[in-house]
Amino acid sequence: MVLVVILFIGFFWISIHLIDLKLNFQTLIPFRQRFFMGFLMTLMISIGSLGVSLLIGLVAAITQECKVLFIRYISLAYVHIIRGTPLLVQIYFFYYIIGTAWGMDNRYIAGILILSMFEGAYIAEIIRGGIQSIERQKYEIALSLGLSSVQTFRFVTFPLVLSRILPALAGQFSSIIKDSSLLSVIAVIELTQTTQEVSADNFRMFENYIFVGFLYFLLTFSVSILSRYLERRFQYERRA
Amino acid sequence: MYKIGSFFLIFLFLFSCTLGCNNNQSNKLIVGMELAYPPFETKDEAGNPMGVSVDLAYALGEYLGKEVHIENINWDGLIPSLQTGKVDVIISSMTITDEREEVVDFTIPYAHSYLALLVNNKSGVHSIEDLNQNDRVIAVKKGTTGYIYATTSLTKATVHSFTSENACVMEVVQGKADAFIYDQLTIYRQNQSHPDKTEAILIPFQDGENWGMALKPGRTELLDQMNSFIQEFKDDGGFDVITKKYLEKEKEIFDSLGFPWFF
Repeated sequence: MVLVVILFIGFFWISIHLIDLKLNFQTLIPFRQRFFMGFLMTLMISIGSLGVSLLIGLVAAITQECKVLFIRYISLAYVHIIRGTPLLVQIYFFYYIIGTAWGMDNRYIAGILILSMFEGAYIAEIIRGGIQSIERQKYEIALSLGLSSVQTFRFVTFPLVLSRILPALAGQFSSIIKDSSLLSVIAVIELTQTTQEVSADNFRMFENYIFVGFLYFLLTFSVSILSRYLERRFQYERRA
Repeated sequence: MYKIGSFFLIFLFLFSCTLGCNNNQSNKLIVGMELAYPPFETKDEAGNPMGVSVDLAYALGEYLGKEVHIENINWDGLIPSLQTGKVDVIISSMTITDEREEVVDFTIPYAHSYLALLVNNKSGVHSIEDLNQNDRVIAVKKGTTGYIYATTSLTKATVHSFTSENACVMEVVQGKADAFIYDQLTIYRQNQSHPDKTEAILIPFQDGENWGMALKPGRTELLDQMNSFIQEFKDDGGFDVITKKYLEKEKEIFDSLGFPWFF
């Protein structure tokens, strides 16, 4: 483990020296306030999007099994269109065309909504996969135990699906954090936008981006640790 | 042990490649520019670099007896590319500023320009003074002199910065921003393409900006050669040829408005 870390650091160190680049991270200190605000903004956007996209994903996953064809097709079209187009295109399209047409002028809320819509389509597929992965026997057992449909959901479907989709959900949440960087194109002042602006001020592009990469990693790494913990907890409940 | 050895070998391999790849640039002049600023830096229909700066770069290469390679690089990435040796020179309509001079060396100026405003015609902005207010929103392109001007002189207003010129124009057209600060020529052209939504305020509100070519500090020999090239190119009427080729109509308009020309 230690060897791997040393190897990576050594490799980057040599690369930096090969091109005769002198990094000076002290140049970042005057901008700490802006980096901090950017970090907070990224955190807030990510958490906001997590909530909204879970909701969207859940609705889309359920309506895909809906018996009313019209609703099912809407949901299917949504998932396919969103998953089939780049986020950058969606940001420009929804912000400048749909957003303007319907008077959504706050770029922060618009940003959270666009990001949620994008991630929601992926979450819908994750949830749908989780529900479908539950074996038929489990429901038969629940039925034979005399559980009502609410009880079946409470004690069988929900914990099973949750423990199965948690790893994928955590991965998706990491994606939300990283994808939020694209909102910089509509001037949402999050981490990446801050980095670009600071780079325009101090011309220390590499120091800025390396530092910001580290901040993003800090966020995504805490997500994976949290998800490990939750996974273990839910497995424990299942065994009990 | 075997594993560590193989890691080491991979390491050496990468190392030697990087060293080897750096050695064959002696007779090339790599010029960095952002091909997103017509008619100074843009692409022709086939996607080849075209424009004032491109012609200038080739003329410079001819003068120096070097083969010119043009690298298309994002505006934000131009100075870092110079710092890391990816390009030898930047010729990208770059204004000489104090901030930039701390990290790069500039040649003598080869052109001059003025900032102007593209305003939304419902915004009620008639001059630069109208913009320095709390409820004003300004769109600028990241890292440009418009950005520097807005963040240092228009401190009361909200400044939103974008990666592309078109995003800034879009903000003004849709009324999300009151004004976009950029150079006169671009503002004039953008106003022409959105006449019903925007107004151009072309009257200069600060001193002229000087454009220079940038290179890595310490390359004094190349700097001297480039300075004498610019002087010679000016004296020989090279810029008149370029104006005629790319900017004839614009020159007429600038002359009729009484604005100073670029060269």
